[in-house]
Amino acid sequence: MANTYTRTINKIMYLVLGIFAVIAVYPIFFAFFTSIKSASEYVNNKLSFPVKITFENYYHVWIKGNMLKYFINSCILIPCALIPYIFVCVSAGFAFGRLRFPFRFAIFLTVLFLMIFPQMLLSIQIFQICRKLNLINNYFGLILTWVAYFAPFGTYIMTTYYSTVPMELIESARIDGTNIWQMLFKIMFPIAKPMIVIIVIIGFQSMWNELPFSLLLLQTESLRTITQGIGMMQGQYGLDDTILTAAILSASIVPLILFMFFQKQITMGAYGGAVKG
Amino acid sequence: MKLKRLKGETIDAYVLIVPLLVLLAVFILYPVLANIYVSFFKWKGIDKPVFIGLQNYKTMINDETFWVSIKNTLVLLIYIPLGALLPILLSAILREGLKGWPFFRAVIYLPNILGYVILGMIFSIVLRKIGPLNSLLTIVGLGSLALDWLSKPDLALHALGLIYGVWLRLGFGCIFFLAAMSSVDESLYDAAKIDGALWWRTFVSVTLPSIRFSIEFWIVLSFIEILARAFPFIYTFTRGGPGFATFTLEYGIYNSGFVAFKLGYASAWATVLFVLCGIIAFFQVKLMRRNING
Repeated sequence: MANTYTRTINKIMYLVLGIFAVIAVYPIFFAFFTSIKSASEYVNNKLSFPVKITFENYYHVWIKGNMLKYFINSCILIPCALIPYIFVCVSAGFAFGRLRFPFRFAIFLTVLFLMIFPQMLLSIQIFQICRKLNLINNYFGLILTWVAYFAPFGTYIMTTYYSTVPMELIESARIDGTNIWQMLFKIMFPIAKPMIVIIVIIGFQSMWNELPFSLLLLQTESLRTITQGIGMMQGQYGLDDTILTAAILSASIVPLILFMFFQKQITMGAYGGAVKG
Repeated sequence: MKLKRLKGETIDAYVLIVPLLVLLAVFILYPVLANIYVSFFKWKGIDKPVFIGLQNYKTMINDETFWVSIKNTLVLLIYIPLGALLPILLSAILREGLKGWPFFRAVIYLPNILGYVILGMIFSIVLRKIGPLNSLLTIVGLGSLALDWLSKPDLALHALGLIYGVWLRLGFGCIFFLAAMSSVDESLYDAAKIDGALWWRTFVSVTLPSIRFSIEFWIVLSFIEILARAFPFIYTFTRGGPGFATFTLEYGIYNSGFVAFKLGYASAWATVLFVLCGIIAFFQVKLMRRNING
């Protein structure tokens, strides 16, 4: 009896997982199949595989459109932002997690508090600040804004990590007369590699997909990021859905590849554990 | 045991946190405070601000779109329980360790790696009147249900709630709750098994109580997602429309600030959003500090 029960339960569980797996990926597959259909085929065949595969839409987006330019922009901009982001998160995380100083906890709680505010709320004033500093249409302004906005979360993750590092490690380095920068680069960076991978993945995804700040601070067309370029295509009339989906897939390629490589880190416990608080 | 602070530790620590603090002061703290200040002025961004007291707030509470955006936000919040329950159930199933479960976990997570901008766009295409969803409904004989989803105000708002508030929460929710469940004492499950407890019973009396802190935290995160992170999704999904059907406070700031250039007025909206976010941030910080030794 118990055995039949287990088997029935297992069947139900597979069924549920199967249904949700389909619900999760169908929209992406839909976008993919649509992007390799011709517009005329899409009119009559919305659901199934393309009868005739065409790369016309990709040609339209990459060669005739500006996708290539936007793609290169994002690929230059994001690594430039990730470097200060990592540095800020690791050094602040180390200090909050493992050093003793006055007001440590109060400052840390303030950092957590500031994490929540929506981009739109900040954007009016950020625009004014960047205008005064001549940072409109300048990647430097966007990089600073991104790091400020995304670093608190990375700092939180690094802080929880460093607070589990044994105190002795720091004490003995201290007694050996190691200065703070040596300690940071020779000890704290290397031991935290798995966590740094996680904050880089989170930072990369946040920046690659970011819209409001880029929309505001990059107004020259040639500077646009890929997500911004696509977000703005949406409003244009007369663009076929087949072309829109090709643009969507083009912007998704890098995150998808990243997911393939780091699937383990992303879906395993560490990531969820780091974020769950 | 409290260790004695070492010489120079305080200075070193401040040196390490200064980059973060400067960035936060300039790009988050100052904007938040300046918003409140500016909300008492009439200001178009390039001219000199003129002090008008509470006029912006008076205009706002007489502005129909303000109340519409509050109502819409409340409707979206209704989807939070479902957006918590489904990922918890899925995680409880994944946790059973069925053959091939990591595959399902990865597949269910997949949409989360694409950003809100892209997902909003995909769904705006999927739900078009002549889109794939309606084709599917027609093929399976439910042609009468093939509606113009995004042109009917109620449908558009609930579609937003279901997609943004539930569907989009599944993948990350599974990772989040799996991590929470991995720290549940395995012997509780063994005990339940020996008692002959059925699956559902184990779920209700072992799994749920063991992860209640994570559930609390998830609810707070869900509030944040709806109040403070939805703009990019709505921007490509419906542009706040049809009419003002999917208009939210964030969208109001965008519209009055960056479309109509009434920056003082937009700041009044932003101040309301600030107060709401502040309340939620209070709970968030309270839950997060459990992880840090104070």
